[in-house]
Amino acid sequence: MFLFLLTSLFGVVRPPYRLDNLLKQIVFIGIHSLFVIVLTAAFAGMVLALQGYYILSRFGSEGMVGPMVALAIVQELGPVLTALMVTGRAGSAMAGELGVMRIKEQIDALESMGINPLKYLIAPRVEASLITLPVLTAIFNVVGIFGGYLVAVQLLGMSSGTYWGGIESKLAAKDIYISIIKSFSFGLIVAWVCTYMGYFTTRGAEGVGRSITSAVVLTSVLVLIWDYFITSVML
Amino acid sequence: MPPQDKTTNLTESPWPIGEMLVKAGQISLNHVEAALAHQSKQIEPDLIGEILVREGIISQPELMAFLVAKFFEERKEYAAQPLPPTAIRFAGVEKTLDGRKVLDRVDLEIPQGKITAIIGVSGGGKSVSLKHMIGLMAPDRGQVFVGDQELGSLTKKQLLRVRERFSMLFQGSALFDSMNVFDNVAFPLREKTRHDPETIAKMVRKTLAQVGLSGMDAKFPDELSGGMMKRVALARALVTQPEIILLDEPTAGLDPIIENAIHHLICDTFMRARYTMVIISHAIPQIFNWCHHVLVLHEGKILESGPSVVVMESQHPVIKQFINGNLTGPIKVI
Repeated sequence: MFLFLLTSLFGVVRPPYRLDNLLKQIVFIGIHSLFVIVLTAAFAGMVLALQGYYILSRFGSEGMVGPMVALAIVQELGPVLTALMVTGRAGSAMAGELGVMRIKEQIDALESMGINPLKYLIAPRVEASLITLPVLTAIFNVVGIFGGYLVAVQLLGMSSGTYWGGIESKLAAKDIYISIIKSFSFGLIVAWVCTYMGYFTTRGAEGVGRSITSAVVLTSVLVLIWDYFITSVML
Repeated sequence: MPPQDKTTNLTESPWPIGEMLVKAGQISLNHVEAALAHQSKQIEPDLIGEILVREGIISQPELMAFLVAKFFEERKEYAAQPLPPTAIRFAGVEKTLDGRKVLDRVDLEIPQGKITAIIGVSGGGKSVSLKHMIGLMAPDRGQVFVGDQELGSLTKKQLLRVRERFSMLFQGSALFDSMNVFDNVAFPLREKTRHDPETIAKMVRKTLAQVGLSGMDAKFPDELSGGMMKRVALARALVTQPEIILLDEPTAGLDPIIENAIHHLICDTFMRARYTMVIISHAIPQIFNWCHHVLVLHEGKILESGPSVVVMESQHPVIKQFINGNLTGPIKVI
């Protein structure tokens, strides 16, 4: 599995560069995941603000809702939920598409033409995932904080200045840096595991189903485990 | 100039199909010369037939029928001729998959510039053999030679270069679902050559016409019948003008008419360019008519190999049972 990753990464840096393939994958992983990311982010921010407001109000700290929402989203929920959403939407599709290509001998056909399938099929997906995950995470973060604003300020009557002022004073550049590093590493995990599972599909249609399930489950678990380790190192 | 002299000149000409047609008395030399006079560019040898068709001297079905008839004559004569040079050779190849020995010390030779059929019961190692020939699988033991190059000794880069000499038609056609017919056929040219888009378009359209699929460029694989998909796959295999074409059950799952059409097409293609072709087929006994050489693979071993006319008359009980499709015999089915 590591050899597969290394060969794919080597394919990313080695010419010829297929910009059309890369753009296609960026559109597929990035643009097509945008709606689900925005929707998830908005409701994650909203529920966080709602829960946070009632919990913090017990301690008379409801003014800290803004920073709580922002820090939770930027450091944790943004990268993790984005990775999980992309896994469910694009990662599963990657595994399925590659699985079908494997069982229909399309990958063998590429090899028989003297085309390296890791370079042609896997490298653009890995590259696109590395590019799009940080961008999607940034979008998630912004939308999530605005979702929290809607609930805290518009619904629960908190002052707008308190919400934004709290975020401005507590959210540091390091938090954004952590968010970017996490999303980048999650991007690698999503593309690596999902393409690996699809690429090595065996045993027909049933195998494709199994590859998709394994890809989603394994990626989700690895994202959460890796999240723990990277958080403990970076905090 | 007397006719004999003209025939002599024709023999040295680079247009073998025109030559065959003249020699067979199907058309006169004047016809060929008149047709060629209209051509401004240099003639491609395999195009001469197309030029004669385009000029209305002979129809496409007539040309194909003529080529097939010539092939049948050639096939009969093949048994009496000395063996041609070897294009692909297996030396003691062994392969075990999922604990089962699929190839068991197989020694085989694929003659160059001929059509070779590999036949045998399902699971006998035919497709695995084909994948070894192109280096998609490596033997556990033994060696596979393409020409004088042993595939196991090659670097990945060298192996890719060897693969460029091949084209392969897969059992399920293996067309790319996300691409239309044109893009599927153009794919190997775009990826492996430096031709400009105009040249690629020209080559693709010419090849699609050759397999009888003109005007189908925009169709996607899921809009095609099984026979059409095989023809697109054949066009994709032909478009790079390889030396060796491997065909894994090109007629599987097709009705007898389409099966016959595909066999005609393969034969027609062979007669125009003289590729080395290896066909895996279950179309028994029809396949014996469409190949020079036959290899019978059974339980991972070569039972018999030789000219198709000889193998067809084999008295080996397994081969007899296989050809006749009998339920009783050494091959236990039920």
